[in-house]
Amino acid sequence: MLRFLASRLASSLLAAALSSLVVFALMRAVPGDIVAQMLGQSGDAAAASALRGFFGLDRPIHVQFAEWVGQVLQGDLGRSWYQGKRVSLLVAEAFLVTLEVALATLLLATLVGVPLGVLAGIMEGSRVDAAIQVFNLAGLSAPVFWVGLMLLVGASSILGWSPPFAYMPPSVDLADNIAILVLPVLSLAVLQAAAYSHFVRDCMTAELRREYVRAAIAKGLSPARVHFRHVLRNILIPLVTFMGLILIQILGGTVVIESLFSLPGLGRLILSGIQGRDYPVVQGALLFVVAIAIVVNLVVDLLYGLIDPRLRP
Amino acid sequence: MSAGTIAARLSGATPVQVLSCVLFAAFAVLIVVPELVAPQSPLAVDPGRALQPPSAAHWFGTDDVGRDLFARVIHATRITLGLVAGALLASAILGGGLGLVAGYAGGTLDLVAARVVDVILTFPPIIAGVVITGILGPGATNLVLALAIVYLPMFFRIARSGALAESRRTYVEAARALGFGEASIMLRQVAPNVLPLVLLQYVVLFPLALQIEAALGFLGLGVAPPTPDWGAILEQGKNFILVAWWISLWPGLFLLASAFAVMVLGRMLQQRLGSG
Repeated sequence: MLRFLASRLASSLLAAALSSLVVFALMRAVPGDIVAQMLGQSGDAAAASALRGFFGLDRPIHVQFAEWVGQVLQGDLGRSWYQGKRVSLLVAEAFLVTLEVALATLLLATLVGVPLGVLAGIMEGSRVDAAIQVFNLAGLSAPVFWVGLMLLVGASSILGWSPPFAYMPPSVDLADNIAILVLPVLSLAVLQAAAYSHFVRDCMTAELRREYVRAAIAKGLSPARVHFRHVLRNILIPLVTFMGLILIQILGGTVVIESLFSLPGLGRLILSGIQGRDYPVVQGALLFVVAIAIVVNLVVDLLYGLIDPRLRP
Repeated sequence: MSAGTIAARLSGATPVQVLSCVLFAAFAVLIVVPELVAPQSPLAVDPGRALQPPSAAHWFGTDDVGRDLFARVIHATRITLGLVAGALLASAILGGGLGLVAGYAGGTLDLVAARVVDVILTFPPIIAGVVITGILGPGATNLVLALAIVYLPMFFRIARSGALAESRRTYVEAARALGFGEASIMLRQVAPNVLPLVLLQYVVLFPLALQIEAALGFLGLGVAPPTPDWGAILEQGKNFILVAWWISLWPGLFLLASAFAVMVLGRMLQQRLGSG
């Protein structure tokens, strides 16, 4: 088990390093950098070359990359070229916003999606099952940001309510913070609840066809006991894996929702960094996203052992 | 096929499956002959009629420069779905081909290809899409490129595992004993058996790729205006959401309906192939 985790970690780290290199090279290979953006059309060559020297853009790419890797290994992601702030600070601030949205979404989606999926699975073939399946398919088909737009319209025309415009951290004003997050979390949760419910239904129907279920019912156990004590426990493993997948998906998928609801999260940080050619911010934030995905996957692997003792080392 | 057999086939289908068939037919018409359904120009500007709600003259209303939204949304069908279909096709050919060779040949080639694919997989799809289109700049070409790259690993993996499993089957051994070359076995014997897996993957990934296409369009990283595209229309509608909700409503509904139809088809195919 430990050896497996170590090799997983090693290949993930290799992939992370390579992806950093690709992003690094790609950004610098494409015409238009921060200097071009600062000076615009009128920039004169002397100023441009002086600025490129200031940002270190005049050196060969491999030298720049080696320097960046050296910094990262010392725990320094550098400073934003626009804001002058430490990239690690910017990433941490943005991550807290995204994490709050992601955890609230995960909670809501699990609370709604899992029971729906279990219900549909148990009642396979019934009207309830059909209705839940339609919800699943529609929820999976609807673009998240479109759901967000429609919720905005609905809230303003039916409830006469619009969310506040500026983001407020929960430590400053919790009520305002919640008011801002309601619609983004709801929009994301519709999709993820549908995904959950879809997945759990499939697991349930497959599991209910297994021999032990028939045996347990033949033995005289009540269906409720079989469903909740035996079947549900057996689908916990795929469920946990799926939870990890969904968490990664939400962390990445918030980029559109953050842009729609003006939330200063990770996705927005990456997007504005790319658009402003703020290389240190893009590199640092992407590295962080990749690292999070690696950690979540490792935690999921570890959880397997906790749920199913047979998988323990 | 007579009307009777069609009815007999349909009677076994669930209402959701029938609905998805109807949607398929409708989208096919919109893709082939959009001008028959919406004769108005999707590009004609009429500032005097800007931001009008849906009416008899403009079924879906008008946008901020007075373009007819019905025409725009209908004409966008071919563009949006075509871009996604083309991008995924490129992805399937490239990723599937690479996976076939890697799975069948194995060895160093397999190792290197798997590492390259892992690099793409380090990012969540939407982030990879944002990075690629953000760095290369918006536009249809870069959008297709981004989608093709993002979904390449999924095709690679499915084709690789299929080819790996097939390469150990007896018929491959038999072909080898008969003196067929490796390339010939791979292309003529193994590839046809891997193809259904790739096709199924195509159908399963289509709705996901459609979502990413729309999301990138919504972020302003997709098809450049004034070309009608569902994601791009949604991007435009975002700024008028509280005064002109209809700009955003329709393209989203069309996205939902097309993703829904393909998703149901994917489920049916999965059940047929016994993997769902």
